[in-house]
Amino acid sequence: MIRDFLPALPPVLSHAAVFGALVIVGLLAGEAVRRYASLPRITGYAVAGAVLGPQGVNLLTDNMLFDLRILVDLSVGLIVFELGFRLDLKWLRLNRWLLATAVAESAFCFWSIFGALVYFDFRPVLAAMAAAIGTATSPAVVMLVASDLRAEGQITERMLLFTAVNSVFAYVLLTLLLPFLHLEHKATWEQALFHPLYLLCGSIFAGYLACLLMLRLAAWLGKREELQFVLLVAMVIVTVGVAHALKLSVSLTLITLGILARNLDHEHALLPVHFGYGAQLFFVILFVLVGASLEFSAFNAVAATVVAAYIVVRFLGKGLALLLFGPLSGIRPGGAGLLTIALLPLSGSAVVMVRDTTSLYPAFGKELAAVVLSAVVILELIGPLATQFALRRAGEARPNG
Amino acid sequence: MDELAFSASAGLTLGVEIELQLVRAHDMDLSRDADDLLARLSKRKLPGAMKPEITESMIELNSSVHADSAALMHELEVMRQAVVREAGVLNVRVCGGGSHPFHDWADRRIYPNERFRSVVERYGYLAKQFTVFGQHIHVGCPGGDEAIYFTHMLTRYVPHFIALSAASPFYQGEDTSFQSSRLTAVSAFPLAGHMPFVSGWADFLEYFTTMKRFGIVASMKDFYWDIRPKPEYGTVEIRVCDTPLTTRRAALLAAYAQALCAYFLTEHPREPSRSVYLVNSYNRFEACRFGTRGDMVDPYAGARKKIGDDILETIALIAPHAFRLGSSELLEELAAGVRVGESDAAWLRRRYAARGSLADVVRDACTRWEQGS
Repeated sequence: MIRDFLPALPPVLSHAAVFGALVIVGLLAGEAVRRYASLPRITGYAVAGAVLGPQGVNLLTDNMLFDLRILVDLSVGLIVFELGFRLDLKWLRLNRWLLATAVAESAFCFWSIFGALVYFDFRPVLAAMAAAIGTATSPAVVMLVASDLRAEGQITERMLLFTAVNSVFAYVLLTLLLPFLHLEHKATWEQALFHPLYLLCGSIFAGYLACLLMLRLAAWLGKREELQFVLLVAMVIVTVGVAHALKLSVSLTLITLGILARNLDHEHALLPVHFGYGAQLFFVILFVLVGASLEFSAFNAVAATVVAAYIVVRFLGKGLALLLFGPLSGIRPGGAGLLTIALLPLSGSAVVMVRDTTSLYPAFGKELAAVVLSAVVILELIGPLATQFALRRAGEARPNG
Repeated sequence: MDELAFSASAGLTLGVEIELQLVRAHDMDLSRDADDLLARLSKRKLPGAMKPEITESMIELNSSVHADSAALMHELEVMRQAVVREAGVLNVRVCGGGSHPFHDWADRRIYPNERFRSVVERYGYLAKQFTVFGQHIHVGCPGGDEAIYFTHMLTRYVPHFIALSAASPFYQGEDTSFQSSRLTAVSAFPLAGHMPFVSGWADFLEYFTTMKRFGIVASMKDFYWDIRPKPEYGTVEIRVCDTPLTTRRAALLAAYAQALCAYFLTEHPREPSRSVYLVNSYNRFEACRFGTRGDMVDPYAGARKKIGDDILETIALIAPHAFRLGSSELLEELAAGVRVGESDAAWLRRRYAARGSLADVVRDACTRWEQGS
């Protein structure tokens, strides 16, 4: 009776406390790998997550990861929004070769992975989905590395542009592949038809509505940076929540919001966004959680050849497109190669995409996971390093950055 | 000493150098694409020359030598179109104006070549702060003595050129209340200011040799004077102008300088006077701060007047020379602007009032430059 004021043991920590603790651990790990190993901070975040996660010491259990999924969505939402906001359609109109390069980069990459997987006797649907996931460069990695290095210049700009384009390509393609997946599992044709239609149209429409609302509100608030910052973050959070509630694609909705916000804002109601230090918080939490979700168990010797092929042909596909079309779009000599390296990081949200598929058809997800998640494990570790190397080599990183 | 051999040029020929701002399309801050842009431009057959400047956020257009300002205007227009087209491929925007309204000087990166590196080594942060954008006007001189005479004569008109070109009201995110804040960045350099009161080319050579012997300067480039003789080109160079928002205005300013020099050369109206240098810094400040509405002291008449009035009187005075040079209309256009109190600085302030953000001011300035006058 008398001890009622004391907590039950062990104490139950709120999500907020877990969140804070994760940020601190990730932060320290990131700084440590940068200081002692000259690796990008992201690598430290991910390693910290992997150590804490279910595959490691299991401080971060599967259940906690599931509960914290909203934080991943939120972080991904903010990141793809900012990425979309950098996609200047006017640039693609002025520089048609750039548009051609971006499309070729996605298409070549997709077809080369697809071809390789079919060669290894994967079923076409499976191969196509794994290839679609592989087409996307990780928005979070390239944006964080660019901002950590304070990189600026043509290679950086193009890296972000191609990432935006190949992300959209991957989201849309994955959605369009859903009918085949449904049909393979003997779902009704209505389900096969309407599910992707709902996802695609719904996500784009939700992004469009959010954009209109945001532009109206920004115009009303006026050109006040501090107010617009809060508006932007809040709009992203709301939109993520709505997309979630409506079972739409968070990534597609948010990148639509970003792209439209940049390109429909004819009156320039929105000030340039700089999420700055605030974004760092989300970057840390995202990569710790992604690290914790890495499936080392998916990795096995049998899959090794396929995974290696997956990574190599993905790289070659991107490289071929950039080498063929890049120079025509005005990349300086040598730039195409560096860009290919910079675009190496595989999207951590591949984990999310795979998980979505898993929840739909568990067995199918597992097959996909073996290949994709192993590639994620590898590229999550070397991807940031590649991007960092490319931007430094291009001379676009700040010398002391 | 060879660099100081005055290579006489046909009198009153004209040329300009214009420093331009390179701006990132997504947030309107300064970009660092000078190298990529210059590489693209170097592949095209263009008149004049395009060069790097101290930081990677700027490029410089050098016109070729012209007999008249109409030809200069045409050439600048050709160069402008080329720059805009190539910048578009890189998603870089371009604008005039004497300062970028809100860039952070510490973010600037020095253009990687030997000369600029040594400037940084010597001047430290002043080098990055020197990311300001000016127009230099060259007028051809028949000989060294004329160049010295022009320099002394033109000093009286320094406030005119400052007021007529003023286009840097914003700096580091603030309204400076100045019409031209750019010259403050120039004044910080130890060899800024004006040429000493020398009587002719021989006298100037003696001064230069002394300074060189002291190890203070290595070449003429080390003098950051408002107006200086440029023996290598055979010209006198006016360096106080902000880069205007349009190529047209750049040509108008050049036309004004040319007509003034024609007036000096043919009428030899006055003798050089030390009083000019007594009032110089006062006049210069008034012009930077208030533009054409500022006061100036006419050192020859000993009278105070509005800078704008003095400009209008001067344009009337040199009208016959402008007529002979075929630039009457251009000077009339300049005068009309002064009468209504129009300037590029005023235009930028109006954009800020209408839009409410400095990023929008830069965007509008880019649109104005990119669309032509």
